[in-house]
Amino acid sequence: MNSRISAFLADRLPLKNVENHIKKPLPKHINWLFSLGSMAAFLLILQAVTGAFLAFYYSPSPDHAYDAVNYISKEVLFGGFVRGLHHWGASVLVIVVFLHLLRVVAYASYKPPREMTWVTGVLMLLIVLGFGFTGYLLPWDQKAYWATVVGVKIAGTAPVIGDFVAKVLRGGEEVGAVTLTRFYALHTIWLPWLAFGLIAVHLFFVRYYGSAGTPKNTPEDMRSGKPFYPDQLFEDAVAILILFIVLASMAIFVPVPLEELADPTDASYDPRPEWYFLFLFQLLKYFEGPLEVVGTFVIPTVGFVLLLFLPFLDRKEERTSLLKRPVALTVTCLSVVLIMLLTILGAIAPRLEPVPEQPPAAEQTAPSQETPEKAEEEAVFDFGLD
Amino acid sequence: MTDVPEEGQQRRTFFKIGMAAIGGLIGLAMAIPLVGFAISPAFRKASKKWVDLGIADLLKGSRYKKINYTFSAKDGWVETNKRRSVYVTDQGDGTFQVYSRVCSHLGCLVRWDEGKDQFFCPCHGAVFDSAGNVVAGPPPRPMDKLPVKVEDGILYVKES
Repeated sequence: MNSRISAFLADRLPLKNVENHIKKPLPKHINWLFSLGSMAAFLLILQAVTGAFLAFYYSPSPDHAYDAVNYISKEVLFGGFVRGLHHWGASVLVIVVFLHLLRVVAYASYKPPREMTWVTGVLMLLIVLGFGFTGYLLPWDQKAYWATVVGVKIAGTAPVIGDFVAKVLRGGEEVGAVTLTRFYALHTIWLPWLAFGLIAVHLFFVRYYGSAGTPKNTPEDMRSGKPFYPDQLFEDAVAILILFIVLASMAIFVPVPLEELADPTDASYDPRPEWYFLFLFQLLKYFEGPLEVVGTFVIPTVGFVLLLFLPFLDRKEERTSLLKRPVALTVTCLSVVLIMLLTILGAIAPRLEPVPEQPPAAEQTAPSQETPEKAEEEAVFDFGLD
Repeated sequence: MTDVPEEGQQRRTFFKIGMAAIGGLIGLAMAIPLVGFAISPAFRKASKKWVDLGIADLLKGSRYKKINYTFSAKDGWVETNKRRSVYVTDQGDGTFQVYSRVCSHLGCLVRWDEGKDQFFCPCHGAVFDSAGNVVAGPPPRPMDKLPVKVEDGILYVKES
């Protein structure tokens, strides 16, 4: 039966060519870091699948979103697990994509003829971050609401078109019902189409130019390694299995946060973005007054453009490991250390003590007992109510 | 054939089986929760409760009187006011018969025709007599009669 189906298909489709293609030998020197791309692809598919299922119970409206997400977590069979996979999957995807990019930089795999593989890859990094930004508004809790208020305002600081862009993103003057539906549409329709289109092009380039391998490969080594199928794919599968076990454990044991319902009047809430945007959040603190746009727009944009066009900036054609490329090594290490440092600083940044809305009555009536130090402290709470 | 290619062949077979096993494992670990997730509402039992239809004395002598009523119920994650429509008939012995207007065939709303003394469904030609029995058309069973009770002079019906 099986062989009859294979024969039927083989008569009609170029299966032999496909088989020859996927059995093509890889470069001789290759290691487990070359599985990161497959891991990212697996995670993207997992996000697409869990997302498609979550959409069964989600309603993109400020009146419903929060209750719907709560309903998924608490009342739908396996709801916590599916939402957990989607939530933690997003974080793990960001990490895997980042490591994948670092691997390509470390081995200079972006050099000719693989520049377009790199460019499509960096565009996908942007899409992954876009998925994150549009996705975490959807539960409509405090974090969702405030991170979006701030995030859209950041886009609004872009010169000339900023205000317009912010209005288009929000669908109006403030974050509300129209913002939620357009973020939902972006998250579930526009970005997935873009992502899968780019993945197709990216994978085409990967297969067309072949894996670059490590810089150790001589021209003779390039076609003398193990075949992609089944050898490399098996290693990828093992890496994916380990990744899946970690992710499934997180989905089971680490509860997905759902904060209070979004409240535009709650000033006691300290807005923080998702961890992978913390470095941008922290960066904003160092640029004051007219320099604000440097942190919100100039550095992120210039950084992204440099990254996107890296293969055209680093013109030396010879591929050597990062350790032998002093400029690339310095820039990469500095960027990585800076991003990690800013992320850590952003994460440990002290929260603002909630300011009482009204000074306690006792302190109002007994000002004579104040020490000068205390008086200074209380100046903060002076609302001119005396 | 030398030993080396044979060993290579064995390795490749192992890889293929390994991949199928990993694929199957992840597939199964995903399929069970995802299918459960998708079909979970089918296992949810609707809780039915008594709903107030009106003062029993005012309904005395009613003959297939149409009453629309509302009750509050959970619809997924939303607490909503659900609306239902019934025909109420005083059976003359102090008890009431309440007919659900939902056709026992495929759920359209039936209409009472006073002149013909029959219920008609506008969808597939079902006809029921005044006792709710099928006279014509495709319904598999008579019309649904809802449980009723009179308590403290109020007529209650168990919502359908």
